[in-house]
Amino acid sequence: MARVKISEWKAKQILLGEGYNGVQIRLGKKQALSASKKWVVKVDQGIKKRFKQGLVKVGVSAGEAVTATKEWEKKGFTQFIAEPVFQHENNEEQYLSLERVRDGVRLLYTKDGGVNIEEHPDKVQMLVLSTPESILSAETQTGLPHGFLVSLVEKFEKSFMTFLEINPLVVRENGVALLDAACLVDSAGAYFTREWSEDDVVKSKAKHDVEKHVEDLAATTPASLKLSVLNPDGALFLLLSGGGGSIVIADEAQALGAGKLLGNYGEYSGGPTREETYLYTKEVLALMLDSKAKKKALVIAGGVANFTDIKSTFAGVIDALSESAEKLRKQGIKVFVRRGGPNEAAGLAHMRTFLEKENLLGSIYSSVDPITAAMRDAIHFIK
Amino acid sequence: MSLIEQIRKNNNGIVVAGNHPAILQSILDFDFLSGETEPSVKVCLIANRSTLKLFFGTKEVLIPCVKDMAAALIVAPEAQWLLNLQSGRRVFETTNLFFQLFPKALGAHVFAENVPEKHATDLIALWGDKKIIAGPSGVGILVSGVLKLGASGGVGLAQIAQGKLTQKGSLAVVSTSGGVTNELIVATAHSGKGTSFSLSIGGDRFPITSLSRVLELAQEDSQTKAVVYFGELGGVDEYEIADLVRTKKLTKPVLAYVAGTIDEAFEERMQFGHAKALVARNDESARAKRDALHAVGVIAPETFPEFLEAMKSLPGEVLEDVSASITPLMNRAKSILSTREIVDLESTPEYVSGKKLAKSQSYAFARATLSALLGRDVSDVTAAFTESILTQLIDHGGHVSGAVNTMVTARAGKDLVSSLVAGLLTVGPRFGGAINESARTWLRGVAAGKDAKTFVEEETRAGRLILGIGHRKYRVGVPDPRVEELSRFASLLKKHPHYDFARAVEKIMTGKQGTLILNVDGAIASLTLDILTECEGLTHRELTSLIDAEFFNALFVIPRSIGFIAHFMEQKQNDEGLFRLPDELLFVHSDKKQKKRK
Repeated sequence: MARVKISEWKAKQILLGEGYNGVQIRLGKKQALSASKKWVVKVDQGIKKRFKQGLVKVGVSAGEAVTATKEWEKKGFTQFIAEPVFQHENNEEQYLSLERVRDGVRLLYTKDGGVNIEEHPDKVQMLVLSTPESILSAETQTGLPHGFLVSLVEKFEKSFMTFLEINPLVVRENGVALLDAACLVDSAGAYFTREWSEDDVVKSKAKHDVEKHVEDLAATTPASLKLSVLNPDGALFLLLSGGGGSIVIADEAQALGAGKLLGNYGEYSGGPTREETYLYTKEVLALMLDSKAKKKALVIAGGVANFTDIKSTFAGVIDALSESAEKLRKQGIKVFVRRGGPNEAAGLAHMRTFLEKENLLGSIYSSVDPITAAMRDAIHFIK
Repeated sequence: MSLIEQIRKNNNGIVVAGNHPAILQSILDFDFLSGETEPSVKVCLIANRSTLKLFFGTKEVLIPCVKDMAAALIVAPEAQWLLNLQSGRRVFETTNLFFQLFPKALGAHVFAENVPEKHATDLIALWGDKKIIAGPSGVGILVSGVLKLGASGGVGLAQIAQGKLTQKGSLAVVSTSGGVTNELIVATAHSGKGTSFSLSIGGDRFPITSLSRVLELAQEDSQTKAVVYFGELGGVDEYEIADLVRTKKLTKPVLAYVAGTIDEAFEERMQFGHAKALVARNDESARAKRDALHAVGVIAPETFPEFLEAMKSLPGEVLEDVSASITPLMNRAKSILSTREIVDLESTPEYVSGKKLAKSQSYAFARATLSALLGRDVSDVTAAFTESILTQLIDHGGHVSGAVNTMVTARAGKDLVSSLVAGLLTVGPRFGGAINESARTWLRGVAAGKDAKTFVEEETRAGRLILGIGHRKYRVGVPDPRVEELSRFASLLKKHPHYDFARAVEKIMTGKQGTLILNVDGAIASLTLDILTECEGLTHRELTSLIDAEFFNALFVIPRSIGFIAHFMEQKQNDEGLFRLPDELLFVHSDKKQKKRK
């Protein structure tokens, strides 16, 4: 979903095509660098402020470049970019970015490189490109070389980019050089373009196992399944439904001073099946059972669903709960529920019967009660 | 008149692209409970099926399904709305085509969550100013008691009642989140004020109809007394509200909840459920946006329970509890096989009354037959024409393959049903089955609007036989008396385009060869099409579906079964034993073979 980063190497390959002389280096794959050149080598995983973190080496030999990547690999990085050094003066550095906005593509440009553009809006030219004419006129206004902007915007559109930042950009009579580039693409465009693939999307953050499992599961269903681990030793674990409703419920924890006690955030929506809900719930329960918090509560909550069937999704939740019922009881965990939607009465009745039988019941609320009711009770329980 | 008021006065016909049975059923339930006499869903774009069976009230109805938008235009030219339930991959193409083909349409809902940003901005550029388009993503548009375009307000019967969706309330519900839209609709019902209309703008980065436009709609709508808004962290939409309020373009009270203060609990900015729900800059945080709304006088409570409480103090009359009862619709069971009664089992026709024959209706059997086949009572002309066909087609001599088969089977000692079936099994492209295909030919020719000459040329070039043309015995100058008789029915009609077309084709064909005349199959097919169009008001689509259901074949099979039974009975009564073809009819004997035998 949404905007995702692709590697700098891939972005430049799209923009420069055949003429691009950068090399991608990946963990475990040998890549020969020419010994006669000096190189710039960088970690290429969408990380900001690489220079400050020591993730860039400039003007190194091929051998030194390889040594540098080996060092970074030890820190857990897996993907790098190497380019021949491009000699230039600091005052040649310019800034350019493109971003998709409601009425076209927004261009930000300044000849003064190195300025923090957010702090110096007066130095930055802002133009919205929506028609071929507006691109040509932008070329005149910025003084960028003839044809450069046309070709850049064409590639931006064709490859479903949503954000592209070139900083620094060096413009000379015989052409332009893109020294550093950051690029976001629209993941929904993957079907329509051959310019990049899932493989080029960078994964900057090492993920928790549970997050990986949910991501894999989400890739196989039209329903929406999301999970982020916030605090592995948290006290409140969430099984929430609905993109908006889940935030409202999490907000209630923050309002009652329990924001930091959340073990996870996530949501399932869009009508997952019983089986999908079962697999998703299993992941949340595994995370919860591993938490070292003394008193823990599970919050199963959501708004009044539009079309997600409460009876069948709750059947999936119950399948997973009953597998771990013994362990949940031993840890003194209670379950707090608030939900509404199609087949609400039947779903909630099953849940109540099950939780009572297993001695796991905290409280149960339906669509006539506030969406935040279960979270409120759960916080009282753990405090 | 404001747009929402216009929608309240409209016939809001919906074209659906894609299939989501629960959502479609909920729309029909909403229509029925709102007192509509027919479903707002007029046609569905679904490949590989011709109808979708849904309940309208307690009755089952069949919603026509078509393959493409051009066909949808023929079925529902007056449609005003598109409900696009397709995947994000197809959204742009279908939505754009809909608005091109239906220029008078008011708007659409795009349900998919994974629509590329570029496609959304392209739709904004093409249609954003002219139409109301809810989405991408979200649950669509609800105008209480009038229009339900999408899952808005839920899909269960109990939800329609609980949210008071059929009653015209006074609060406009505007939300980025589909799920919370429903939560708010239920809350407006609890507060007693109910929802006037709701538009879920969706959690995508570029909603096609913008938040500002939706708020304008709320401001213009006299039924709406206040706005209830739900937003999330990420994006800067709430500043649009603040601007509208500050510049007095929005003067109705606004109650807003901006969710996402939980983000303050984490060190890193987190991506929440919706695409836009990520704080990229400080002014996109929930708190900053709440503060901005506060500053201009919007009611923007700190917690959701306070937000619900504040709803009670908004203006708007409390609705009387008169929502339609859903009880009669509960426990509906879908029919598994049949959707209608073929004959009315309750009523028995009366033939004897007061020791006398009752006065009988003319063409009674033809009428009963058509009523069973078509599910409707027919006019006199249709009944008479059918009677004429049924009578003429009972038999055409013992030479034809079906009659031969029946007789041979009967002579082999088999029973009535076996012999009849043996005869019927020969009905097909070469024997008897031509009426159906001939009807398809005439229907296609007339619908294409081509002249007969071009049509014949095209068919010939494509190597297709024109069924309904040609006879073994009759020719120009020696007309088929059955065709002569049937043709008189044309004089009873105001217009007979299919018959005229068939005659025009005949004229071209007989120019080549005298035997290529309009035969009885072709005459029956063309006249039946004209009679069903003029006397029964059937549409092109209904005629196509009758051809697909082999109605025209039935017009042959029914009377000819009588003929076959007659042949069977004759054989049984004569009882001549097993039939065997004499040698001389079976083989062309060579001299050598004949010698051997001797």
